[in-house]
Amino acid sequence: MGIATGEWHPANSSRAIPAVLREDGILLVAAEEERVLASAVPERTEISPRVGSIPRRVSFPDGSVFETRDNDGIDTYLRGKRGARSGLIHRLEQFHPRLILMTLAVILLATTIYRFAVPVLVEVAVLVTPPFVPELIGSGTLASLDRTILKPSELPEGERQAISEGFSKLATHSKGGQGAYDLYFRDGVIGPNAFALPDGSLILTDDLVKLANGDREMILGVLGHEIAHVEGEHSLRQLYRAAGVAALVMLIAGDVGSGVEDILTQGGALVALSYSRAAEAEADRRSVELMRAAGYDPAALARFFVVLEDKLGDHGDASILSSHPGTPQRQQDIRNYAAELEGRLQAR
Amino acid sequence: MWGIGQAAVSAAARGYDIMAMAETAPRAAEAQSFERASFTGSASEYFGIWIVNVLLTIVTLGIYSAWAKVRRMRYFYGNTVILDRAFEYHATGKQIFIGRLIVTAFLIVLNIGTAIFPPIGIITPIVILVALPWLIKRSLRFNARVTSYRNVRFDFVGTAGGAFVAILLGSFVAFISFGILAPLASRWTWRYVFNNLRYGDRPFASDPQLGRLYGVWILPALIVFLGSIVFGFIAFIVIIGAAAVMRESAELTSAQMTVLSIAGLYAGLFIYFILYGIAGLFYRAGVRNVAWSAAELDGHHQLVSDISRLRYAWIAISNVIVTVLTLGLMRPWAAVRMARYVNEHTGIRINGDPGEILSSIEASGAAISAEYMDMEGFDFGF
Repeated sequence: MGIATGEWHPANSSRAIPAVLREDGILLVAAEEERVLASAVPERTEISPRVGSIPRRVSFPDGSVFETRDNDGIDTYLRGKRGARSGLIHRLEQFHPRLILMTLAVILLATTIYRFAVPVLVEVAVLVTPPFVPELIGSGTLASLDRTILKPSELPEGERQAISEGFSKLATHSKGGQGAYDLYFRDGVIGPNAFALPDGSLILTDDLVKLANGDREMILGVLGHEIAHVEGEHSLRQLYRAAGVAALVMLIAGDVGSGVEDILTQGGALVALSYSRAAEAEADRRSVELMRAAGYDPAALARFFVVLEDKLGDHGDASILSSHPGTPQRQQDIRNYAAELEGRLQAR
Repeated sequence: MWGIGQAAVSAAARGYDIMAMAETAPRAAEAQSFERASFTGSASEYFGIWIVNVLLTIVTLGIYSAWAKVRRMRYFYGNTVILDRAFEYHATGKQIFIGRLIVTAFLIVLNIGTAIFPPIGIITPIVILVALPWLIKRSLRFNARVTSYRNVRFDFVGTAGGAFVAILLGSFVAFISFGILAPLASRWTWRYVFNNLRYGDRPFASDPQLGRLYGVWILPALIVFLGSIVFGFIAFIVIIGAAAVMRESAELTSAQMTVLSIAGLYAGLFIYFILYGIAGLFYRAGVRNVAWSAAELDGHHQLVSDISRLRYAWIAISNVIVTVLTLGLMRPWAAVRMARYVNEHTGIRINGDPGEILSSIEASGAAISAEYMDMEGFDFGF
């Protein structure tokens, strides 16, 4: 006879009266024994959708509420009233072999998003990024590096002058032109290194110049590689990729827990510091093009990798420590590309 | 699951006189009764809810995430049971969706604005910083107002100025003092949260003592301090060792130093991340114990939190490891496990007869309406 047993609360009150929910003619009625506590036509009541086995609420127009744990009783009533479609989401959620299929679908879709949607989103984000953003990132990073791990360069003025001149020649042939890049000489604990900031600031360490042992073309080859990173907006892309993956995971999974959230945000920041393999290969090729255009040895960058190989003993095909392709492979690719460019121009 | 409540209902159905039962109830209940919360959900049940949430969110290009959140919150609130009654989460998917839509629209307009007129981009962070306390206040109020227990809603009456001091100034002070003043910040935050919280017409109040907060601060501080010394010592040994190797073979050069120093930099960052993470877990659990145990409802019912910090940290860390290793698929299990532990170590000491006291609470005027005017937009977890 009754739909479900539970408790009835007067409007806005915590007072609870044991009650039964039942249909009385066209009315839905909450009653204590024979005393009617609240009643209304079903259309004017609101029954909360089922989630797991948490209590259900039936709200009456006078603000009073009937609450019950008898989910099945309510479901039976609703199916009779509204047909089989009621509670569709809850039925999907029930523990059932069907969930295996759904899990597989989620894995498939997530992989697809990672492979195809993320790159597209990154491109869109790069496109709509206003120019002051890379400026801010660049100047901020350089300032904080100068305060922490970088020191002013101790190279002789003449040496710096010569490298700067070569660098200007390279930059003239790049997309942004000479004005888009600034070369900074620095010394510090980071060893032989050169890196680019998204605003076009390039930092070259004294140790790298010393490592080159007077081979300025080699240094320029490295700088050409760094110019390419700026041209291709690689660091911005990497940043957006890390942030995008973190944001998507949090949106889709809803609640991943604070620990995983920290890993996604902080770990993402670490990942954003390195370039992808594809970006490195692209920058290598671009270095060849720029060096060629400026009238230097196009494959000078390969000599840098020879030196690295000698000093570091990096003979592996791919190093484990980073996403960088192994240096022997990169040397070969650079030489091949230089030869290919040469051939193409002669054929013309 | 509903135990006593269900028994009372069936007793009523059998025709017993409830009033007579109340009169014969032992007077001992008058003194004090300590009630613990519990969590009645299960990982298998939540897995279904979660995976459907994920699937529908993807299929609807993220739109369903607002409704997904409602189902998730309703599941966790509805399974949080104390004194045989569950909490209830009342926000609707539409409300949350509109809130998110407003935020997204605001960001898009801002982006277009800066593309046309770049100086807007410079003032944006300032505007957001100024608006943040207001947003925090709104978010806390929204979350309180959509929560009910025994048909009575919670409310939050804090101001934006209070949020500025409690959250922004507090974080700033804790940050620039390297965490030494973190207990001060925690005190501000929890005072702001509890002293502005209402359950119906009854206020909460909490005044966590600074001494007690420093009491739970010592252990995490030692973890960071001693951890840094130990790992600093290991790093020192490694560097000495590397230097010795370097003297042995002239082949090794500054290039090798680079690899060593970069690997060292990453390892250092990683270790600090882990150390701060673990210390943070210990601190969070400790502060929760202090702040909740100092809190009272309506002046004489005391809240209790007695989480074991070690156990809490273990659950949190193993949850993260299991979640990551299973690419997120064990997240429902992890979430239920944590909710169960935290709920079971939270309770209330009620002065007098719980049934009578809880029945006498009515909604206050403010909390009844108005929540539909609020937007959510942001989420702030405390």
